[in-house]
Amino acid sequence: MIHTLASAFSRLRFVVMAAIPLALFSGLAIRESMAVPVEIEKPVLDAQSQRIAAIKKVHPAVVAVCMQGGQGVGSGVIISPEGYALTNFHVVQPTGPLMQAGLADGVLYDAVVVGLDKVGDVALIKLLPKEKGKPFPFVKLGDSDKVRIGDWSLAMGNPFSLAMDFTPTVTYGVISGTNRYQPPEGKGLLEYTDCIQIETSINPGNSGGPLFNMNGELIGINGRGSFEKRGRVNSGVGYAISINQIKNFLGHLYAGIDTDHATLGAAVGTASEDAPLSQMVVRQVLEGSDAERRGIQEGDQLLNFAGRSVSSTNQYKNVLGIFPKEWRVPVTVRRNNDRYETLVRLMGNIATEKESPTGQPQPAPRPVAPKGPAPKAGNPEAAKLYIPKKGYGNWYFNQLERDKVLTAAKAHGDFTTAPGSWVAQGKYEVGERKGDMRFEITEGKDADAIINLKLNIDHKLAPLKETDARLQIEPIGSGGLMMALYHWHRFLTKGASGFEGNFSHGGNEPFYPYPADGSTPKSLASLRQDCSVIRTKHGSTECKWYYSMQDHKLLGFETQVTKDDDPCEVYFSDYKAVDGKQLPHRIEVRFKDKRYALLTIDKYTLGQK
Amino acid sequence: MITRPGFALLAAVCVAISTPVIAAAADPFNELAEKTNRKMVKLFGAGGFSRLNNYGTGIIISPDGHVLTVASQLLDTSELVVHLYDGQRLRAQVLAIEPELDAAIVKIRVDGKKIEEPTGLDLEYFDVNELAKRPHAEPGDWVLALTNTFEIALRDEPLSLQRGVVMAYTKLAGRRGVFDFPYTGDVYVVDAITNNPGAAGGALIDRKGNLLGVIGREIKNSLSDTWMNYAIPLSSKVDLKIKETVKDKNGKDIEEEKTVTITMPDFVTKGMKGEYRAVKRDNRTTGIGGYHGIIFVPNVLERTPAYVEDVVPDSPAAKAGFRPDDLVSFVDGDPIASINTLIDWMKKNTRPGQVIRVEVRRGEALQTLELTLGSYPSQPTAPEPAPMPKTP
Repeated sequence: MIHTLASAFSRLRFVVMAAIPLALFSGLAIRESMAVPVEIEKPVLDAQSQRIAAIKKVHPAVVAVCMQGGQGVGSGVIISPEGYALTNFHVVQPTGPLMQAGLADGVLYDAVVVGLDKVGDVALIKLLPKEKGKPFPFVKLGDSDKVRIGDWSLAMGNPFSLAMDFTPTVTYGVISGTNRYQPPEGKGLLEYTDCIQIETSINPGNSGGPLFNMNGELIGINGRGSFEKRGRVNSGVGYAISINQIKNFLGHLYAGIDTDHATLGAAVGTASEDAPLSQMVVRQVLEGSDAERRGIQEGDQLLNFAGRSVSSTNQYKNVLGIFPKEWRVPVTVRRNNDRYETLVRLMGNIATEKESPTGQPQPAPRPVAPKGPAPKAGNPEAAKLYIPKKGYGNWYFNQLERDKVLTAAKAHGDFTTAPGSWVAQGKYEVGERKGDMRFEITEGKDADAIINLKLNIDHKLAPLKETDARLQIEPIGSGGLMMALYHWHRFLTKGASGFEGNFSHGGNEPFYPYPADGSTPKSLASLRQDCSVIRTKHGSTECKWYYSMQDHKLLGFETQVTKDDDPCEVYFSDYKAVDGKQLPHRIEVRFKDKRYALLTIDKYTLGQK
Repeated sequence: MITRPGFALLAAVCVAISTPVIAAAADPFNELAEKTNRKMVKLFGAGGFSRLNNYGTGIIISPDGHVLTVASQLLDTSELVVHLYDGQRLRAQVLAIEPELDAAIVKIRVDGKKIEEPTGLDLEYFDVNELAKRPHAEPGDWVLALTNTFEIALRDEPLSLQRGVVMAYTKLAGRRGVFDFPYTGDVYVVDAITNNPGAAGGALIDRKGNLLGVIGREIKNSLSDTWMNYAIPLSSKVDLKIKETVKDKNGKDIEEEKTVTITMPDFVTKGMKGEYRAVKRDNRTTGIGGYHGIIFVPNVLERTPAYVEDVVPDSPAAKAGFRPDDLVSFVDGDPIASINTLIDWMKKNTRPGQVIRVEVRRGEALQTLELTLGSYPSQPTAPEPAPMPKTP
């Protein structure tokens, strides 16, 4: 039986009392050791100093998460100087959006919920500094894929709310297992995939607290344990959410999103439960899913998912569980001895689809954002940092992160000063055909916008007037290149004011631009570039804009014209300055796993205000 | 005065800590865990209901696929399955069971091969006979446990690793439910919480990777009523007193008491060959009996009269109308002299679902109650709080 480690203090006083003599005894032992001259081997002393140094380094950043008023509910850890801290979702569930957080310095800070990952049992909160701009102590994120069974680890937190002054309790033990799978605890939430199993003692109140390696790097967030006859205290088996899983969601969490995990869009199961060696086989492909459009079929053997080989149910659930929905991941299947690799856009996990793969409609678990009590006037500053919105843990932080990305991108050019029509001239390649290319984007007044695109033939579209989906996705085979170009212009020149449907930060996603020299990539995974995503919606057209996390350059975007088909993918490269603004001079257009066109631009003419 | 224990503790800590240090580069725990994991199996068998797990752990003790594990109900099936470290799923069959050692030998089966034929598996294994000759580990020594605790690992997933210190090497006084545990020989008592569901049959190893003992089933210490963390050592032996019928010099049958020694190495050697014959003994291991729900007065005397102190609400006894202060006098016509007599009678003669007639003395009158026995409740009783510490 597995349970989360949320505090249940009432029954735990006895246990707390039991823990005290242990601490006293060890204290005694150390003091005695001082008195007795003993020769201690250098490695022993080195290990001790390493351990002490690691604890000293990280303990100021360990958080005691409290209700407003200071009653302890769990633990957390600060991961940035601005005071962003990781904890468990089940810790902030009882606190609601506003809580308090005690640090080892004995000070209780106000804190606010930022982003949520209910399925993964993670929440990001932000502590408010007492003095504006004063940095918080924070810890470095480690690499949990490097954690091995038998490694030493340190767990810290506030078990049983022992520390009235918030000084974290430290426990020490070995890693019992890695890549462990622990099924959801009711309604599909709190699923621990690819997690770290520890014997390092964690108890009620440790929830949300950090697990460190011996270098003081954060490798996990402690969250639950296996309990049975011995009661709901440490029974030698605890679990921490691996930090590498959290890293995948971190962009979403910073952006205040109430994020969701993913499914493949196909039911995958073991070929035979009784087979001597286990194999994973696609049992059914969900109609209308990206997996279906990518050509995955019933009976395909699943070999590799996102770079990891998959041969058992637990392995599959582990690797599937570490990704946010809508991420594209490379998937390799085998069919009749042929291997086939493709990029699949993952579907959401919290069921919003009408039909489940088994064909039986299942009740959709729809968790609500932690409402809690209406923000109390404890600290008006903290209350100002919380804006509720459906689909978000905290909309305030989405706006903040979105504007950060857009402001950073402005370094490459501010296009709001060039709202007039844009003309680009150059060459095109569509399949075997090549020739001169020209496109013109004119915004016009109201709905008068017009796109002219000349490839081998002339195309014309009034993007805001045309309602026929068949015309909206012209040129045929592009998935809606003209619509895409129009939205690009609108996005760059109008910004937020141009998108009444949605204008938000979409978290972080991998983006897979094909090599600019047109060569065949070694593997799809090798193309990956991590991007911040801005999502827009105008009319019924939705776009996702991919900004490089390295230099905030717009690497490309996807335009979804019709809901049930693939988007038109546009990849930008060869950026050069035009009127002091950086514009891509090579545009690759892809649709349905194929390149539709390559546009090389010799000259842009941007209309001025 | 306190210096000594302090010193001893420090010494233990030193030994302990030297591992991670040297480890910084080599990380021996990881290699040890990996190496040991290859000599272990996940075991799946009977159970899966009312707190009886259908999963456990086993230790490979021959290249041919003999497995040492505990003598649990898990083995009570013809559908025994093992998962090897590499993810292979194979059938297995019980060769020998010795409740006095709480040990069993199981053999992995390969399709198309008879049980007595070599499997051709060529597995990595622990040589129990060699290892049993080693001196046992001492209190203060560091140990590691590898088990499939809570069935966390399936197929090729590695077993769970725990680390601890031997706290004592001592005689076991344990009980399982209301029964005394059959094994009463030496055990390693460790400070890590090793004996969880599914962990039984796991390996307790030293820091060099030598197998020290077999992690035992979940039992409570019958003295302190706390859950135990222990392993049965490979060198374990028990002396069993049995009664044998022999002819005396006049040719008459008489019963003679005889002591038989059972050792783990002997059990393993003979068990692997299929030659182990369990010693015939008194029918000690009767069933658990049916559940009545009567709480008797404290059983402090050899012959405490079977007075009812209380009745568990909604229990069979409550339904049958038992009341505090009733004295149980006869059950199905047999006189009940004491609480112990009743407990023995229940174990020997009853099972869940059975209806028994109980005559109780209530006040001055005898009353007959019909009691339909149930199964022992599957819900664990609430964990008992730790005793209050004496602060110095």
